[in-house]
Amino acid sequence: MENIKELFEPFNTQYMELYKENWLKVKLESSSDLLDVARVIKNYGIRSIATVSPTDFIEDNIFEMNYFFEDLNTYKNVWLKVDIPREFSECKIDSITPLFAGANWHEREAHSMYGVHFINHPDLSWFIISADYYGKFPFRKGFDWKAHEQNLIENMNTIVDDLYDEHNANDEKFDGSKTILNWGPTHPASGPIRLKVEVDGEEILAIEPDIGYVWRALEHLVEEKDFLGSIVALERICFMDNTNSMICYAQAVEEIAGKEITDFAKMMRVLLGEIGRIVSHLMGIGGFFNTMGLMTLFMWAIDLREYFLDVLENYSGARVATASIEPGGVRYPLNMKTLELLDVAIEEYERTKDDFYNIFLKNPLMKSRATKVGIITKDEVHDFSLCGIVARASGVKTDIRLDEPYAAYDKIDMDYMIEENGAAKNRLDVLFKEIAQSISILKQASSDLRDGIKSQIYNPQKDHLVKIPKKLPAGEAISRVEWSRGELMMHLVTQEKATSPYRLKIKAPSFNHTMILEHLLKGQTLSDIPLVFGSLYICQGDLDR
Amino acid sequence: MEFLFNIYIFPGILFILTWAVFVFWFFRKILATLHKRVGPHYNGYAGTMQTFYDFSKLLTKESITPKGVNSYLFSSIPLIAPMLAIIPVVFIPWMPNFVIINSSYGVLGLVVLIGIEPFLLFLTGFGSNNKYSFLGGIRILTQMISMETSFFLSALSPALLFSTMNLTEIADMSSWLSTLILLPGAMLFFVSILGILEQPPFNIPDAEQEIVYGFYTEYSGTNYFLLKLAEFAEFLVTFAAMVTLFFGGYHGLFFDGFICLFVKMLIFAVLMIAIRASNPRLRLSQMLEFAWRYLVPLNLLNIVWILYAKQFILGD
Repeated sequence: MENIKELFEPFNTQYMELYKENWLKVKLESSSDLLDVARVIKNYGIRSIATVSPTDFIEDNIFEMNYFFEDLNTYKNVWLKVDIPREFSECKIDSITPLFAGANWHEREAHSMYGVHFINHPDLSWFIISADYYGKFPFRKGFDWKAHEQNLIENMNTIVDDLYDEHNANDEKFDGSKTILNWGPTHPASGPIRLKVEVDGEEILAIEPDIGYVWRALEHLVEEKDFLGSIVALERICFMDNTNSMICYAQAVEEIAGKEITDFAKMMRVLLGEIGRIVSHLMGIGGFFNTMGLMTLFMWAIDLREYFLDVLENYSGARVATASIEPGGVRYPLNMKTLELLDVAIEEYERTKDDFYNIFLKNPLMKSRATKVGIITKDEVHDFSLCGIVARASGVKTDIRLDEPYAAYDKIDMDYMIEENGAAKNRLDVLFKEIAQSISILKQASSDLRDGIKSQIYNPQKDHLVKIPKKLPAGEAISRVEWSRGELMMHLVTQEKATSPYRLKIKAPSFNHTMILEHLLKGQTLSDIPLVFGSLYICQGDLDR
Repeated sequence: MEFLFNIYIFPGILFILTWAVFVFWFFRKILATLHKRVGPHYNGYAGTMQTFYDFSKLLTKESITPKGVNSYLFSSIPLIAPMLAIIPVVFIPWMPNFVIINSSYGVLGLVVLIGIEPFLLFLTGFGSNNKYSFLGGIRILTQMISMETSFFLSALSPALLFSTMNLTEIADMSSWLSTLILLPGAMLFFVSILGILEQPPFNIPDAEQEIVYGFYTEYSGTNYFLLKLAEFAEFLVTFAAMVTLFFGGYHGLFFDGFICLFVKMLIFAVLMIAIRASNPRLRLSQMLEFAWRYLVPLNLLNIVWILYAKQFILGD
């Protein structure tokens, strides 16, 4: 940490302080220093950037830019802040994309949502938002959503016109065997994302992802809700793993409120979080084979998943959208029936896992297709700020549960699940390994809970929740969890006596993983698109938010 | 009278329709069992009526012809395809002393008529004015050229062994020993028909996750029904051909008859579904490599083996 502090000595800083164990929080005096600072940080060895997030302080008439630089080797990170003016004409800052490739889309998003102009950005075109929001910068405070929605027909026409314009432009641009093939958004395997694939016959020349088809403006939506009500919006980032995203948000709120939750609630969060991870990973392994036209594993995995959903249903009353974790702990007291159902689910897993492994993971046809495509090297993981299973399949040891233990993960015995080659097959292997790992964590957590309840250290009827005040003081916090898709980070800003978040930035893993798609698929054939796309374990929900 | 019976009832239109309804249900039910699902359940006993309803629904739906296509080409292929797919039934000896055309060129007629079918499907892709359909059409052409070489070569092996192209004679001359000799040929034939019928792992031309539905993409309603009917007629003909060529046709363990042929065909249908339920799709380049680097040379070796066996084992 001291070494990182020294880096900032040549520059004017407003303040420099340690934040938690692993973060150095620095505010720069002037935005003209940014590029030099970024260069120094990169030369020091911090090569990844989690996200770029402007916060709109309308009363002070400034944007506070937040840059979260991460080092995936030493886990010592830098949180850089700098103020820029808010007016459209002066709201400019140097782009750091030439230095940090992973900042590319994050800067485009900040431009589309806030109108921040990034100087020297390679392609600052509109992103996520549909044509009717172009140039209106919806996330700025003071944007009138209701007035915008009143012109519904007009907005629809704008979107349709935009589509036709693009179609006609493509017709003029291409002839012969080259053409643009739309892979999505209404494609059997794509989900709500559109890849504009420029093809020559079967060969891919270029891919441009067009995202935003499930943009729900979640980051704005929570500003309209209170701190408790926000969880139902945030659990819908992606339905596959909904518990961990709530843990992330709850931790940020607790930090600002200055409350510590009970050990029992912490262990319950581990338990629910791992169930969420298994539920998601089971769909992940099925989805991987679906991309090659083999539905059997998906069906079997869904069958097994039901047993884990039973546990969630018994605990929270809902199978998928559980709303089971809230600021202050977990929402419901625990009854022993839940743990019994968990045992049943684990037993079912033990019974079926060998079939999964022997029939599908050893399949020679799958191996022949998946071992040579979508290869991501270690350097690319750092440069594009990849995380989660994608990073671990390339041999990078990153797992927030171990890097920066939250909830009760410091009591759990676990290790990094890594693979070496970084091909599509390796990512599948990591998924399989992590399911086994999560089962082992679940066993540890449930035996800890049982012991605790038996020896009356935990009181399952009372300990689950501590009171969090409805009004929070001014403050800001970042919170990270290992989501099933990778690192989920939330940056929460509140104002004095706030009843709802002032700004919540969600850094979602799929965003960075989609960014690398073109790099992986250029020069491959059409058949590899679904396979590589599926292996990156992308969820369109957290891609668009 | 018998002529009309043959055309309309057996082995003509009614038989083909019943087969299509039955085998679609059968595929669904077997696949559902392997998937740990239930499959068709509500209509009829164990969902038997489901496919009947599905087909009648398709027949009554509007067939949409997209803008900008050659409508003659687009709509005539779905008529020609099932007709051409049904014709080979005349060469197949369905039961003892029952074959419509007892030709001494039965094998030839069968393989040529089966082999011509995919080219019609290519034309559907070509005539759809759709990028996905066109890619599907190109893929089907690529796959056929590779797979049919192996298909023809492996279909040749029983004809060489028994020195006849008459299917009835082939079925009658088969014995346990000859079946054993023909087993490698039968396996190669089975792999080739997986390619020709576009079944996994060779379902490349209608790879849903890559090119939507390949050459089928623009078809709907009656046209789609007719194309599907052609596909199921092709299933019937290829399975029957396989059983007749390699496994003694209508001959059974205890008695001879249509039922023996039918049970043997269903065994291969189950095998096909089992492969479908456990293997992912190959890439186009992998299929080409497999066909030309392994399948065709193996077929040539198989021919050598057949000639050797004919000379020294059967002692002809």
